[in-house]
Amino acid sequence: MNISEIVLTELEKVTETDEVRRNLDLMLFDEKILDSFGSMELMVALSEQFGLEITPGQVEREQWTSPRKIIAYVQERLKEIH
Amino acid sequence: MTPYADFLYFGVSLYALLPAALLGWLKRFTRIWLVFATLGMLAVQYWQGGSGLENKFWLMLGYATLQWLNARLFLKLRAQKVRRPAFYFALLVALLPLLAGKFFPGDTLVFVGLSYITFRSLDVLFGIQDGGIQALPLAQYSQFLLFFATISSGPIDRFQRFGQDWRRERTSAEWLRDIDGGIQRIFTGFLYKFILAALIKQYWLDAVSGAELGQTIAYMYAYTFYLFFDFAGYSAFAVGFAYFFGIHPPENFRRPFAARDLRDFWNRWHISLSFWFRDFVYNRFVFASVKGKWFKNRFTAAYLGYFLSMGLMGVWHGLAAHYIVYGLYHGALLFLTDWLNRRYRNNRLLNSDSLFWRGASIFLTFHLVSFGFLIFSGRLF
Repeated sequence: MNISEIVLTELEKVTETDEVRRNLDLMLFDEKILDSFGSMELMVALSEQFGLEITPGQVEREQWTSPRKIIAYVQERLKEIH
Repeated sequence: MTPYADFLYFGVSLYALLPAALLGWLKRFTRIWLVFATLGMLAVQYWQGGSGLENKFWLMLGYATLQWLNARLFLKLRAQKVRRPAFYFALLVALLPLLAGKFFPGDTLVFVGLSYITFRSLDVLFGIQDGGIQALPLAQYSQFLLFFATISSGPIDRFQRFGQDWRRERTSAEWLRDIDGGIQRIFTGFLYKFILAALIKQYWLDAVSGAELGQTIAYMYAYTFYLFFDFAGYSAFAVGFAYFFGIHPPENFRRPFAARDLRDFWNRWHISLSFWFRDFVYNRFVFASVKGKWFKNRFTAAYLGYFLSMGLMGVWHGLAAHYIVYGLYHGALLFLTDWLNRRYRNNRLLNSDSLFWRGASIFLTFHLVSFGFLIFSGRLF
């Protein structure tokens, strides 16, 4: 599975909607699909999936506003390792 | 002298604001002026005579020095193996003066702004722990902690955000926008605090004194509006003053009485405080509990997080029963809001955007909030 597929699967689990898959530019916080709680769950899930250390102190809310941005964030973090 | 409370203070502060504006216009504004202005204004605000800590000026500077050393030490230790224990030790040192001030009788160890400075020094420690802060220049740190415009009651800025303003060079157009924004906010402050809040206090709040239910309800409304105009007015002054120096602290209020539910309310009321609790208490608690799989039910962490962060917020105001109940009351309201939202997520009536439903939810939220302020006021118990 590629990176975006894994991110979207986790995001779908946390938000309990497949809207996040259909529209990658969905404004997650504005549309009340993701909140602080979901954000934290997603960080833990993505940390485990990718073997990264994603913590609340590292992520600014502006970096997580849409599915596309979250995917980009993870890709960026993975690039730093390799 | 109490900041933003009387006209003498505003008169004195012109000696800080006008040179800042002038130097900015001449493109000669440097950070040194910010340091000078803060030192001078803090002397005016805190000086009480005496050479020891009974003089609040020295107490305040002593506190700042302690926090500076604490943060520097932690920055050094973080690179070593003892990161965890060093972090907890640093947190303890940052909290100790506030705790000592709360538990020891009298106000020997307390100075105006102590609790707000504590939030800022904790923000620096969290930033170091997360790796976002890797250097602590003394001038920048001291101004972040003590900047005279925001020292007494916020808004609670963040070190990394403050750093962006600190390093920024302003163009003429930006300077003009700052002066414009500053003056607008200062006049908003006069309108809110010295006209609206003052009128509400004199003719409404102070006029309801009886213990009957009707009087208590009137007091609830009066107090709610008084609190808003007084504090939003204060915040407008603080942000407006800061603009003169090229600093843009976060706004504290965004039409709070238009909130449609309690979560919405905390995104609009005393924003810099509620975001602080969201980022440093709620989020970290939820993250740790999800990661450590502490609870069987997924949402237990969220619910407990509300009680924890709002409970702490209440205690932060003071140890009196009405503050603690106020915090728990808001914890319970956030829990209920969240639970109902989840339970009725697909209910078409409850999620309708009709004018009636919007009005009803704003009306209900306003009254829940007002009742909270009635608890907070200490009039009930």
